[in-house]
Amino acid sequence: MTTEIVRTKELHKVYDQNGPRPYEALKGITFSVEQGEFVGIMGASGSGKTTLLNIMATLDQPTSGSVEIDGQDVTHLTANQMSDFRSEKLGFIFQDFNLLETLTARENIALPLSLQNKKPNQIKQAVDAAATKLGIAELLSQYPTQLSGGQKQRVAAARALVANPSIIFGDEPTGALDSTNARELLDTLTDINQQGVSILLVTHDPFSASFCKRILFIKDGRIGDEIDANGKSRNAFYQEILEKLGTFEQ
Amino acid sequence: MLFKISIAGVKSRWKDYVVLFSGMIITTAIFYMFEAISTNNKFTTSSPAGQNAKFVFIFGSILLAIITLVYVFYANNFLMSMRKHDYGLFMMLGAKSRVISKLIILETLVIGIMSTLIGIVVGIGFTQGLSSLLSHEIHVPLTNFSAFYLPAVWVTIILFFVLFVIAGLMNARTFMKTSALKLLRSNQQSDWQDPKKRTLIGQAILGLGLLAGGYYAMYDINQLKLLAIGIGLVTIVLGTYFVFNSFFVMILEMVQSSKSSMAGLNNFTIAQLKFRIRDYTKILSVVSLLFALALGAITVGIGFQRMVPMIANGNSAYAVGLTNPTRQMKSLVGDLDVSSQVTYQQKIDPAAKTVYYRASQLQQRPMKYAYFTNRSQLKSKVGTASLSQLKNPSSEAYDSLVNLQAPASRTFKIKLVSDTSFDQLHAKQNTLLLVRVKDMDAASNTLTKLTKLQSRQYGQSMTEMPGGGAFSTYQLLKGVFGSFEFMGIFLGIAFLAMLASCLMFKILSGAASDKVRFEMLNKIGARKSVLTHSILLQILGLFLLPAVLGIVDVAFGLQMFVKSHLLQGAYQTFGWSAVGFSLLYLIYYGITVLVYSKIVVPKTKVEK
Repeated sequence: MTTEIVRTKELHKVYDQNGPRPYEALKGITFSVEQGEFVGIMGASGSGKTTLLNIMATLDQPTSGSVEIDGQDVTHLTANQMSDFRSEKLGFIFQDFNLLETLTARENIALPLSLQNKKPNQIKQAVDAAATKLGIAELLSQYPTQLSGGQKQRVAAARALVANPSIIFGDEPTGALDSTNARELLDTLTDINQQGVSILLVTHDPFSASFCKRILFIKDGRIGDEIDANGKSRNAFYQEILEKLGTFEQ
Repeated sequence: MLFKISIAGVKSRWKDYVVLFSGMIITTAIFYMFEAISTNNKFTTSSPAGQNAKFVFIFGSILLAIITLVYVFYANNFLMSMRKHDYGLFMMLGAKSRVISKLIILETLVIGIMSTLIGIVVGIGFTQGLSSLLSHEIHVPLTNFSAFYLPAVWVTIILFFVLFVIAGLMNARTFMKTSALKLLRSNQQSDWQDPKKRTLIGQAILGLGLLAGGYYAMYDINQLKLLAIGIGLVTIVLGTYFVFNSFFVMILEMVQSSKSSMAGLNNFTIAQLKFRIRDYTKILSVVSLLFALALGAITVGIGFQRMVPMIANGNSAYAVGLTNPTRQMKSLVGDLDVSSQVTYQQKIDPAAKTVYYRASQLQQRPMKYAYFTNRSQLKSKVGTASLSQLKNPSSEAYDSLVNLQAPASRTFKIKLVSDTSFDQLHAKQNTLLLVRVKDMDAASNTLTKLTKLQSRQYGQSMTEMPGGGAFSTYQLLKGVFGSFEFMGIFLGIAFLAMLASCLMFKILSGAASDKVRFEMLNKIGARKSVLTHSILLQILGLFLLPAVLGIVDVAFGLQMFVKSHLLQGAYQTFGWSAVGFSLLYLIYYGITVLVYSKIVVPKTKVEK
């Protein structure tokens, strides 16, 4: 039996609610992600996908509606609870890597565990395991400036993975990579996913999206459409996404 | 059109500009304050310290101008760090780089001129306030001194105008050389290179060695004479640079490799601090040296002042001796915080050049007298004069009594006689009132009034020391050392304010690029309190290290004064001024942390 790892219900987000020009970014979004799924969220700029990601990632709060992650309602947490929740349950991969240049790869990967005040031994083991999984074990003592774009993104992926999160959020993770490195990272994410980690990817790149198993299309703050890979080949799925985008954006 | 864009740009980042603006105003104000004294020839030459003062002020002026240059440079960097993105955008949109250059020069100049003008007004206010406060506190009359002094205004305006033109041109040049894309992405660049271990250790040893050499030179001033200052200047400047560039970094690396560095954001905090120290080596070295200079100036200044009552109290147990005090004088004495007073009757025989006292009175109510137990440390004691001492012209007690008499009789002999003999003397009977006060500084104003009344009574000018007691010594020394002290405190505070602002702006100008780092940490789950804690530590490190090194510099530098017997009780004064100085410095630390946190710590969005 599968369990839901993310479940949003009637999410609304209004910016500048009491101001002269309130703007409704999300207009009632309801969906769920099953344990072990690889879901993509696509949409044009301004469609509300970043707002949605921020709310799910406890970086922002909805005006109304609820978000449950791993069975816990995250919309009513205090600021500290939200921080702790992020460090324990969520992993992030950002577009521009966001590695700290003054720390080595090992130290960068260790950050989420340090924040949970894990013991040095535990940290070392977890970092080594994540690095091996991503094939960067030899790079651990290097500083980010000594790494290539693809290597940096794998370090970032290891950092997202190291605390065994319930779900990994990717915000355009291939945005700053060339096609070879992008492909590599997406393959890696697929690997991670196959080992049972749930992934939610926000992107507007059809190629990245074609690695997902299911895609939600957002337009004007609503889920406009949804397609499923359903065992199709990645190429076929890619074509389907392109077609869908062609009709969806009109 | 250009002007409109400029104004819009400033408006959109109003809060950041307020910080920049107030910093500039303070800098201008401080520079004006200093110039108000140093350009005022009448004041500097009329002060007893005379030529020394002129030298100190020329030296101080040059130093201050250099710091001001550094300051304007950093403040300007901060300004540019805020505007880079905008300029990049304008260039992307097709604005010619010539137009942007004009825009930059215009903005820099507008901000510069406005802050200079406001700064001068504030400076006049500061000068008025501080000078009356200081003259009240250290009891130095500031004749020929006025807060508004036109030549000082001109010097300030011209210097700052030139500085801002240079700054504007430099900024414009940087922009002409940088591509629009680079400007747009300026926030994302960082060039951390882990320093090589061997170089680090080599530099650390060299730095410590140079510092040690410099300290030893100052310690050994009696042998090395002027050479000590030369050696000290070179070795300490270089040593400070290397210590920052390597020694502190090495220490941080050691801390980083310990197990505790893995907890929370410790590793991040240490790594950031390490990066900053290497990135800021020059400014940190300058701050440290200036901190030492400023603290040294204050310590020496206050040290001289502290010596004044010590010397005065060792010279006489009584502040003043009043012969035949009038009613007005007696009521003034009544206002004083007197620790003891005593009255003796005396008769003067001008022909025999003798002053007669009743032995019985001096026995019943013995006179006190002061004597130095250790002249080089200015330690003195108060003794009770016995009759035999008062009969011995070579005793200190005898001397004390002579000096407390009216000036006309100070060359006469003293004789103690029985009551019968005293009554039989055919001369006018005087009373001599001796007043001992608890605190000379506190009593200073009333004692000045008393001595004025006395000189009128004696028909003599003030300079002839009518009071005769400790207060006359006090007044004499105040004239000499007071101006030293005034300059020391003034220079010290001016330097401190400038250097702390420099450091503040250097840190703040890096805030924009640190924002991304803190946002990431927030996303991966660092609590706000953890982020704030890390900021507190990082900035504390940047403020603390130069201060500690500066304090160590002064601790050794004072040896020059101690060894050459110029200053007594230097280390006690040093302790107190270091505490006071650090408190002022701490305020700057607090402001930096507040502004920096406001820029970098992400706000949790809660809109319900």
